Amino acid sequence: MAAITPETLSTDVIAKPSAPLSPLVLGIRRFRRHRMAMIGLGLLILLMLYISFGGLFARGYCTPIDKNLSGEPWSDCNDLSLKLKPPSASHIFGTDVVGRDIFARTIYGGQISLMIGVSAAIVEVVLGALVGALAAYYGGWVDSILMRFTEAMLTIPNLFLLIIGARFFGGGLPDFKLFGRELTGSVVVIILIIGATSWMYLARIVRANVLSLRERDYVSAARALGASDSRLILTHLLPNTTAPLIVSATLGVANAILAEAYVSFLGLGVQGSTATWGNMLDGAYRYLDTAPWLWFFPGTLILLTVLGINFVGDGLRDALDPYSTRHL
Amino acid sequence: MTNYILRRLAQAIPQLFIISIILFVLMQAFGDPIATLGGRVPPRPEDKERLRRQLGLDQPVYKQYFTWLVGNDWQKIDMDGDGVPETYGKRHGVLRGDWGNSLVTRQPVLRMIGERLPNTLLLMVTAEIVIIIVSLALGLYSALRPYSTFDNLVTGLSFVGYSMPVFWLALMLMYIFAVNFRRWGLPYLPTVGMYDPQVGKTPWELIKHMVLPVTTLAVISIAGYSRFVRSSVLEVLSQDYIRTARAKGLRAMFVVLRHALPNAALPFITLIGLDIPFLLAGAVVTERIFAWPGTGRLFIDHTERADFPMLMGILMLISIAVVVFQLITDVVYSFVDPRIRLE
Amino acid sequence: MKRNLYILLSFLVLASMLLTACGGSNVPATEAPAATEAPAATQAPTEAPAATEAPTQAAAPKGTVTITFVQEPDNLNPMYTSMYFSQITRELWLKGLWNFDENAKPVPVLAKEIPTVENGGLSADGKTITIKLRDDITWSDGEPVTADDFVFTYNMIMSDKNTPQGRYPYDEYVASVEAKDPTTLVVNFKDPFAAWLTSIFYWVLPKHILQPVFDTDGSLDNAEWNRNPTVGVGPFVLSEWETGSHLAFTANPNWIDPPKIEQVFIRIVPDDAAQEAAIIAGDTDIGVFLSSDQIQKLEAGGNVKVVPVASGYDEAWFLNVNPKTASPAMLDLNVRKAIALATDRFTIVKNLLVEDINPVNVTYWDNSPPYQTDSLTPYPYDPEQAKQLLDTAGWKDSDGDGIRDKVIDGKKVDLKLRYITNDRELRKNVQAVVQQQWSLVGIGADLVNYSSDVYWNGYNDGGPQAQGLYDIAEYSSVQSAFPDPDASSGWTCDQIASADKPDGANWQGYCNPAIDDLMKQQATTLDPTARRDLYNQIEQILYDDYVYIGMWKDPDLWSINSRVKNVKLSGVFPFWNVTQWEVSE
Repeated sequence: MAAITPETLSTDVIAKPSAPLSPLVLGIRRFRRHRMAMIGLGLLILLMLYISFGGLFARGYCTPIDKNLSGEPWSDCNDLSLKLKPPSASHIFGTDVVGRDIFARTIYGGQISLMIGVSAAIVEVVLGALVGALAAYYGGWVDSILMRFTEAMLTIPNLFLLIIGARFFGGGLPDFKLFGRELTGSVVVIILIIGATSWMYLARIVRANVLSLRERDYVSAARALGASDSRLILTHLLPNTTAPLIVSATLGVANAILAEAYVSFLGLGVQGSTATWGNMLDGAYRYLDTAPWLWFFPGTLILLTVLGINFVGDGLRDALDPYSTRHL
Repeated sequence: MTNYILRRLAQAIPQLFIISIILFVLMQAFGDPIATLGGRVPPRPEDKERLRRQLGLDQPVYKQYFTWLVGNDWQKIDMDGDGVPETYGKRHGVLRGDWGNSLVTRQPVLRMIGERLPNTLLLMVTAEIVIIIVSLALGLYSALRPYSTFDNLVTGLSFVGYSMPVFWLALMLMYIFAVNFRRWGLPYLPTVGMYDPQVGKTPWELIKHMVLPVTTLAVISIAGYSRFVRSSVLEVLSQDYIRTARAKGLRAMFVVLRHALPNAALPFITLIGLDIPFLLAGAVVTERIFAWPGTGRLFIDHTERADFPMLMGILMLISIAVVVFQLITDVVYSFVDPRIRLE
Repeated sequence: MKRNLYILLSFLVLASMLLTACGGSNVPATEAPAATEAPAATQAPTEAPAATEAPTQAAAPKGTVTITFVQEPDNLNPMYTSMYFSQITRELWLKGLWNFDENAKPVPVLAKEIPTVENGGLSADGKTITIKLRDDITWSDGEPVTADDFVFTYNMIMSDKNTPQGRYPYDEYVASVEAKDPTTLVVNFKDPFAAWLTSIFYWVLPKHILQPVFDTDGSLDNAEWNRNPTVGVGPFVLSEWETGSHLAFTANPNWIDPPKIEQVFIRIVPDDAAQEAAIIAGDTDIGVFLSSDQIQKLEAGGNVKVVPVASGYDEAWFLNVNPKTASPAMLDLNVRKAIALATDRFTIVKNLLVEDINPVNVTYWDNSPPYQTDSLTPYPYDPEQAKQLLDTAGWKDSDGDGIRDKVIDGKKVDLKLRYITNDRELRKNVQAVVQQQWSLVGIGADLVNYSSDVYWNGYNDGGPQAQGLYDIAEYSSVQSAFPDPDASSGWTCDQIASADKPDGANWQGYCNPAIDDLMKQQATTLDPTARRDLYNQIEQILYDDYVYIGMWKDPDLWSINSRVKNVKLSGVFPFWNVTQWEVSE
């Protein structure tokens, strides 16, 4: 046996201990094991494919203007002689009150609904994280004021805030172009008002998290080294609250899609002839039994999307929460 | 304990003031109530101007707020338009119990809310009871048989219930149980209203009409809460004292009901307690779809008419209820959980 | 712990059930006319009350007629509400000098006859109207109706202690009202007032009940009587009002023309869908404000008939021609004409409405047949001519995007019209169809919907119409004193809404001295033929100016169950002949 000396003790003899798995990899593994989350993910992927590429199948001949149309213009083609037709070969989801193809409208409406959902969630996360972090970091009267304000916003019924928001912004914002689609200013209005009415919950969570992190050693060390407040908040505190932020953001998208449907149902939704899943439901209320295809398709799509997001959100919560004792 | 309660109440008062100011200011974003007072025919300019003056709507916002709060019966106002105040105002202000008159019906706001409030309470409290019982039962049963078919089924359905827009659910329920059942000749549920006026306000009528709205309200909450209860119970079941109780030989069911459930239900109480005041806002959508004559519908009807006094009345009522119920919840919680001490 | 919680909650439920059962119902102490027993409000009365004291009627009243309202009346005192449902309810229990039948002809009620020049009711100079009242009519509590009640009503409306909805026409046109004797009422006008017939005293307040209230409270604003009128003068009396649910009126057998039915039951439903369900199920006999796409479904059962009743409403486009706020395109007559010719209103009406009921209309006064100009026909649909007109006006599609444009003040401006309306579904649908129609001639559309309370806002509240933030505004309207044709405030120069005149009613900014002159003349012309001539001139000028583009006639759609006979609905006072209604079981 050779003598074991430091020289002979080479590193490739001893099996290298594998590097600890990064939280990201760990998280992904746990996520994959969460069956419902995977189903949700699959559902969402299918839906994304639907709204992204479904437009390729949306085409037809628009009689009133004597043209063959496809894509978004087809979803706007209204042919009064074809109004309220049940699903058929040429219109697989049927037609609406002015003869527009529902299949095409669910595709293009879905694009808007999802865009609203994601944007509103971003607004919500930014506002909530900002308020929560500032309140927790500065403490004292800043904390008091911000928290009282948050509570006040929570007390006021959501509906009221939505209506106020719609009035406040309504009608004043200009149209804009996004990814080749012309959108009215009311889309931005909806994003803002949904975001502005849902940030409160996140603010509380972030505040609680930051409060507990604030006193940690590494924060004091950073402060001692002269890091500015904003640097501390942005690079040290907030990133460590990512887990609840991610989960909140995901569930926020689901919530925003439901909120968009709710707001449209109240008649405050996206204006003009632009379709969204929500405003397709709005007009459908009166045709409950005579034309169920009007509300069945957009309603089901909302349900599936929100369901998928909720599944994924649940999986994320389990995957990213280091203290979770379940699913291991 | 009393000190704690008194202190909380003392903190609540400035909070309510601030909320009332915020609400009042926000409400200016609503349309002009005079413009819609005319019904189908827009009011004439002379009448609009006069009404605005007589109802005090031409005052600056802070003055209107002040009048709403403390009244103007010690002040003279100009009722006849000559620019000279000559008549004493008639408002006593909220602080003295006068919440003003609705701009739409000219009736005292409190009276109108009072007429509708019991209806909302009936619906909401019933819904809340259903929610509590069913959530606890489902959550408990799921926790006792984790990952079983039942559990997975309930979890799955919860997700579905949780993901539906509330009005879609209401419409579906109406479509199936009222419209289609009637068509298929099955005993069907009524679609609208609180009771059939020809028959009268009998308990049976009320129950029949409550089924669909209560179900609509309950399903979504149950979906959320049952999962919460489930995880809460699971957490409690893994505690040492449960294991001790079982080791002592106590029967499983007894242990669950006597030890596990009460402890698991503690956070549940907080959730419920915070939910209750929002019930007063009266699940607007449900009341609207099912034509339930409650405060939610009152709210929405008067929103379109920009009826400030009525809207302020309802909103302040909710705010006060939130504050009061938060306090009650904390107090109840402290009674129920001996580990908590309020000071 | 949990047990206590359950007990507490059960208690809460019980408590709320008790509260609901006790509170909320508004059962007034009815001043039931002498001998007849008013049937209890909650039981569905199917048998007539035993023996009636009123000897004038042949058969005892029987049956209940149910009417659905989609909105609850806010106040029953007509002084304090202009709400449609409050007004039509008033017809049941509070009458005035005269009614208007289904052809909009006046029918005297409390007055003995309609005052004319021949019978001395109208003075020669047109400034004094003398009305003889019937002496055999009493309030439902037995007190006689006298001219003093009318004078009292006038005083209450004009009093500064009250905040009535409107003082029209008393504040501007009436000099004084006096009671020459208990059955003679004299109204003195400042100038001859053409719209007198449709605007004075179509309801009256009971002095003997309300004077004491006014004296004690200092005002009628908060009177109990407003929500719970115990005394009225009409064929029915309010017996119950359960807020949010229903109102019940029982027959007044002491009325000069006793009703043939026993009870009118008004049921409040939340919206059209619920009303539709109730009509189809036979739960209601009469429904109102139906939409044309419901007709087929409602009449399918066979015992419901949908009846259009012209109430003066026409749906139309009002074009913004205010030099200060309108876009340059709108100020060009050729462009306005092109817009009219490029919109196929006929197809819209055919597909989204019912052509027979909602034909395309021509002028604002289509709704008043006596003042209509028959020689004018709706603007035709002629997209080719529209294109030519736009070419002439200098609008050409230079950048190939499908929308015409023009260089104005050095900048390229698109012909994109801001087309606003409120958020009713029908209107949104019309907007979508119009947008597509316009694309054929190269006009672009910016479709905007406002909620009603914002849409009707005045200048100072940021109202989009008042401030001229539009090119085309669509809505349905009627003259305030329909069937009188006077609508001058919408078209005269001095009524243009602006910072100086925020309550101005001329939201189109239209100013034409010829129109101003004609409007002034017609207001004081009492002779119907002369007045008609003036209106023909007005209509011709406006027609040629293309500032009003008629969309469709918008009569109210009522549904009547065949169970109820003799229902003749008037566009002015729908329930004017309620005493003739009969129910066959």
